[in-house]
Amino acid sequence: MSWRKDDEERPDSDEGDEELDENDYKTQKDAVLFAIDVSKSMLKPPAATGDKKADKDSALTAALKCAYQIMQQRIISQPRDMMGVLLFGTEKSKFRDDSGNGTGYSHCYLLSDLDVPGAEDVKKLKALVEDDEDEDEIMVPSQEPVVMSNMLFCANQVFTTNAANFGSRRLFIVTDNDDPHVGDKQAKSSAAVRAKDLYDLGVVIELFPISREDKKFDLTKFYDDIIYRDPAAEVGESGGPKTSKSGDGLTLLNSLISNINSKQTPKRSYFSNLPFELAPGLIISVKGYIPLNRQTPSRSCYVYEGEEQAQVVQSETAQVDFAARTVEKTELRKGYKFGGEHICFKPEELAELKQMGKKTLRIIGFKKRAKIPSWASVKKSLFIFPSEEQYVGSTSVFSALWQKLLKDDKVGIAWFVARENAHPVMVAIFPSGNPDDEESNTPYLPAGLWLYPLPFADDVRSVDHVTAPARPADELTDQMRQVIQNLQLPKAMYDPRKYPNPSLQWHYKIVQAKALDEEIPESMDDLTLPKYRQIDKRVGGYLAEWKEMLAKKASDLQNNRAFKREFEDGDDERPAKRAKPTKKATIGGGGPANSNADLKKAFEQGTLGKMTVAELKDIMASKGISTAGRKADLVERLEQWVEGNL
Amino acid sequence: MADKEATMYVIDLGKPMADCHNGRDESDLDFGMRYIWDKISTTVAASRKTWNVGVVGLNTDETDNNENREEYQGYENISVLQELGPMSMTSLRALKSQIEPSSTSSADAISAIVVALRMIQVFTKKLKYKRKIILVTNGESPIDDHQSEEVAAMLNDVGTELVVIGIDFDDAEYGFKEEDKTQHKAENERILKTLVDLCENGVFGTMAQAVEELAIPRIKTVRPFKAYDGPLTLGDPQKYPSALSIQVERYFKTKRATPPSASNVAIPNGPSQTQGRDDDTPMGGVDFQAVKQLRTYRVDDPKAAGGKKDVDMDDLAKAYQYGRTVVPFSTSEEDYVKYETTKSFTIIGFVPMSSCEPFLNMGETGLIVAQKVNEEAELGLSALIHALHELESYAVARYVSKDKAQPQILLLKPNPAIEDDVECLYDVPLPFAEDVRSYQFPPLDKVLTITGNILTEHRLLPNDNLQQAMSDYVDAMDLTEFGQDDDGNPAEYAPIEDLYNPVIHHMNQAIRNRAVNPDAPLPPVADILTRFTHPPEPLIAKAKPEIDGLIKAAEVKKVPPKVQGKHGRKDTVKPLSGLDIDALLGETRPRAKKTPISTENAIPEFKQILETAEDDETVETAAKQMGDIICKLISDSFADVLYPRAAENLRVMREELISMEVPTLYNTYLMGLKESLLSDELNGDRREMWFRWVVGGRLGLITQGESEVSEVSEEEAKAFLK
Repeated sequence: MSWRKDDEERPDSDEGDEELDENDYKTQKDAVLFAIDVSKSMLKPPAATGDKKADKDSALTAALKCAYQIMQQRIISQPRDMMGVLLFGTEKSKFRDDSGNGTGYSHCYLLSDLDVPGAEDVKKLKALVEDDEDEDEIMVPSQEPVVMSNMLFCANQVFTTNAANFGSRRLFIVTDNDDPHVGDKQAKSSAAVRAKDLYDLGVVIELFPISREDKKFDLTKFYDDIIYRDPAAEVGESGGPKTSKSGDGLTLLNSLISNINSKQTPKRSYFSNLPFELAPGLIISVKGYIPLNRQTPSRSCYVYEGEEQAQVVQSETAQVDFAARTVEKTELRKGYKFGGEHICFKPEELAELKQMGKKTLRIIGFKKRAKIPSWASVKKSLFIFPSEEQYVGSTSVFSALWQKLLKDDKVGIAWFVARENAHPVMVAIFPSGNPDDEESNTPYLPAGLWLYPLPFADDVRSVDHVTAPARPADELTDQMRQVIQNLQLPKAMYDPRKYPNPSLQWHYKIVQAKALDEEIPESMDDLTLPKYRQIDKRVGGYLAEWKEMLAKKASDLQNNRAFKREFEDGDDERPAKRAKPTKKATIGGGGPANSNADLKKAFEQGTLGKMTVAELKDIMASKGISTAGRKADLVERLEQWVEGNL
Repeated sequence: MADKEATMYVIDLGKPMADCHNGRDESDLDFGMRYIWDKISTTVAASRKTWNVGVVGLNTDETDNNENREEYQGYENISVLQELGPMSMTSLRALKSQIEPSSTSSADAISAIVVALRMIQVFTKKLKYKRKIILVTNGESPIDDHQSEEVAAMLNDVGTELVVIGIDFDDAEYGFKEEDKTQHKAENERILKTLVDLCENGVFGTMAQAVEELAIPRIKTVRPFKAYDGPLTLGDPQKYPSALSIQVERYFKTKRATPPSASNVAIPNGPSQTQGRDDDTPMGGVDFQAVKQLRTYRVDDPKAAGGKKDVDMDDLAKAYQYGRTVVPFSTSEEDYVKYETTKSFTIIGFVPMSSCEPFLNMGETGLIVAQKVNEEAELGLSALIHALHELESYAVARYVSKDKAQPQILLLKPNPAIEDDVECLYDVPLPFAEDVRSYQFPPLDKVLTITGNILTEHRLLPNDNLQQAMSDYVDAMDLTEFGQDDDGNPAEYAPIEDLYNPVIHHMNQAIRNRAVNPDAPLPPVADILTRFTHPPEPLIAKAKPEIDGLIKAAEVKKVPPKVQGKHGRKDTVKPLSGLDIDALLGETRPRAKKTPISTENAIPEFKQILETAEDDETVETAAKQMGDIICKLISDSFADVLYPRAAENLRVMREELISMEVPTLYNTYLMGLKESLLSDELNGDRREMWFRWVVGGRLGLITQGESEVSEVSEEEAKAFLK
């Protein structure tokens, strides 16, 4: 569960954050098979308009480009999930190894078999879309119309054999033909039967219709008999495929990508059937999701290149004692280091220690949203959504709570244990608004409730070591306001979709280039870099003035402080003469933070070396100078600092 | 850096310490030792070499201390039980054996303090130390006070804190008074109180309070860590003279604390000791041995025995996965995959506070202040903080903590000395594009029908009545002013400073307990750690009408367990068009009993037969055919290639037969299958199919819990899988 992989990853073996739903023993993997229609109309290039920005792709090219892009994307974000590409309506037929026409699935061409995509699959698609290479003449439409039932059964077999036990299996059909079997009732019925097979197999069909030249894609002609509501979909979820088309400043490709992307990520729950105790005696059930999760580059592994083919090495670990004797499992205990020894517990005691109550989400009360300190953040939030599976009425109660929290700017405070044996946390429950609302802050996130983990007192670091006293606002503040007002981000919000992670992108760019035997790129567009030229253009003037003002104010402050110190020094010099040990009075007295003048004086008199190591370290630590090394090093470093800074 | 410490404990072991007082059923000594063991074991747990502990026994039968020389008197029956030094488990055990009540009660507590002080003096010399003497006594033995002032002066001169914790000492502030106190105890209390008052640094308290406070978790303080020290820029100072650059320092404001981590250790003397007597394994006082991990690397090699061979680490190359393709990188190429960055911290732009949802935060908070003794930075950062605050805005910045580090996007929030008493920016990490998974959910305030209609009244939507009840409930349960501050004024309930991590503190408590008392059972979870697991009782009582109102309006009903399994399969499934697919299936796929289920399309066909099955015989036949298909898949499988498919068929069979309420069909089949798998009847060794897929896939016998008509109990099902 994760929450892992926050910025500094910690090996947190006790708490496997991304652990899968305990109720779901099916493999939580996703398999997507693209079925792309190859027909004359799909191959037809768009009408030339003379406009440079106009679409140049045929519908087929757009569909293939889309598959190509999504394949690359999935390699990064879903490295364990499968994908395949099946073309239908082709003159040629191919299924697995036998390339002849005797496959039984005529006019179906399995371009990439369903599998975790690899370099060859990416290459194959790339060649088709970028280089327009179609040496094998795959993209030639067949003369006779394709038999849809055939294609559906072909898909059935692909799923049955390659992704038998995947939790999520989906067939993405991309076509511009809303009536493949005009007037052929028999063929339609066969297709409907094969579609039911897929439904019973647990495969969800997602249709991505393409409409061209203002012709409406009419679902009632054929596809309404093929498509079922997703059995896993939430009750009340809107069905209905979205039609992709070119126009309104959007290319067909973009329209298609946006439609497919919205369905592309399989919805994996992090937990289900969690009892949500809203009030004493009122329980509803919710499912939990992780819509925000830090993606990190794939880990490196080791390969053995000894023989013909490089092989990934499996590593095995054995526990051995000091004499290199393998220790049996029954001899192992978990030990906690304590005073040079190990303190051990029996396994059942360990389980008891970690058990902090049953899995639950229990509200203990509500607070004003503003009561959550702005610094109170430790890890990412989880998203919850109601489920009617265990408690009928969960959805309406959940909705009532959601609306109330939104309306009154309140948050719930709750005790949360995600699974049996999970570490408990206190969470604040925040509502997220409707994504299609004009005013939504998060148009890319669903509406629902978020479990925002609150820091424990143990997680809060002391700030006693910093000294930054409150200061009044002044002209510098006023000038800075101009700068801020003129440098608002687009739409006055941070939209993560506009900021791809440069390290991640670079990693896969390099690995992909090497995997595909391409030239290693030299550089990359980093969208997280500020637009420096624009900043200069928009606020350069304000900034220049501000800096001038700052320089003056800073030097005033400096003089002021120096004067004050001299004044204070003068004050306590007389008693210092009377007291016997004068050595300390020059340095140790005033406290390190405001003794710059003392330091300077001591430096000029060459008496820095008379301080003790502890005093030196105190002073240097307060100036942010390294305190490592012997006394001579310290003195030398401090002298350099005084010379350079005072 | 944590300061060096020298702490002396002076423990009264006098005869009266063996008695129980004031209704306690433990002796004064045990009562007092609860406090001391907690303190000492905390020191042991920290295992810091610079934290030194020494122990002096007061009222010991013997006399063993350096002050007891001929020219001095009054140092009898005082013994050094442990010299000052770092505390380990060994010293803890050694000390433990010496803590026994004696048969004397004549030693002078102030003399014992002097003994302790001399030890501190000798040990710490003039070096920088935190010096402390803790005296625990019940004040029964006589004290000579004519040198109190000199002793206090000595303590002050050496810079030593004196803590006196008396058992049943009166403490008006805490509110404790011993009713039938003896005259001499009252006198001794007075003497010790006077001594503490003479100290510049002294604490005088009663044991009841000290023991009570042990329950309050102690939070480990961590040295501040400077995560960044350099410029915060706006614009590019390299290219544009207008660009702004403020020297800042960044520290952590929050950082997740983790429970103590365990390592693998082995029971000494090998396995012989452990056989059959697992429960007797001692848990403390035994020398567990650390174990190391030995990593071996292997590759598949059909020629080698067992199909695998070991390879040498030196022959291996590093590689990254690109999908299923493995891409090796030589050492010289390895740097390519790292994005080349330079240390920087630069503002991208500004956003209104209201546009930032807290649930976008991806992790821990930082704290940014101006570089010390840098007037320009101080004034500059302050102006930025105030301007952001006045405009209710945040800054978005790109942060690279050091050269070659991965860039992060941070949201910078102004704090003009409001939340913390310093002027600073807080920062929290924000997500990148790849971190957002676009999950689709239906709206919560309307229902969209398949035909595209929008409904605002529906059983899934709250009616006005429920909305009102919810609103009243939420308002009634407000915690904003439900708590109390130290002066008893209304304050926020459950603020963050009161939220202790229950796992960390309970673990620590249990470990300390076990160290001191290896045979004692686990301590219960302290109340202070479970305070916030439920709403506060008084609030529930106050909000009773609103709670009842909400429950009534909510009309939530628990789904009976039996129906859950069926996943709403009661309705016949139809495609969007509403086509009667079952009828169509009946026409196109006439299913005579003789046409067996096909292997290729087994799952759909099996489900379809059961859906329309009219008699038990059809179900039985279908189950039989499905069973045969599963066996055939397994015996046809080259190695484990077909196992997933067989397992999926088995899973569907199990699920369907549960919903048909014929669990016995499945159970009987599975028993047969288990035997064939484990006796190599299905074309070779098929144990993996059983252990990994059937057992691991939770496809065991159907129990009574899953289907009422089953005759298999939970225990039987469990035993069957073993």
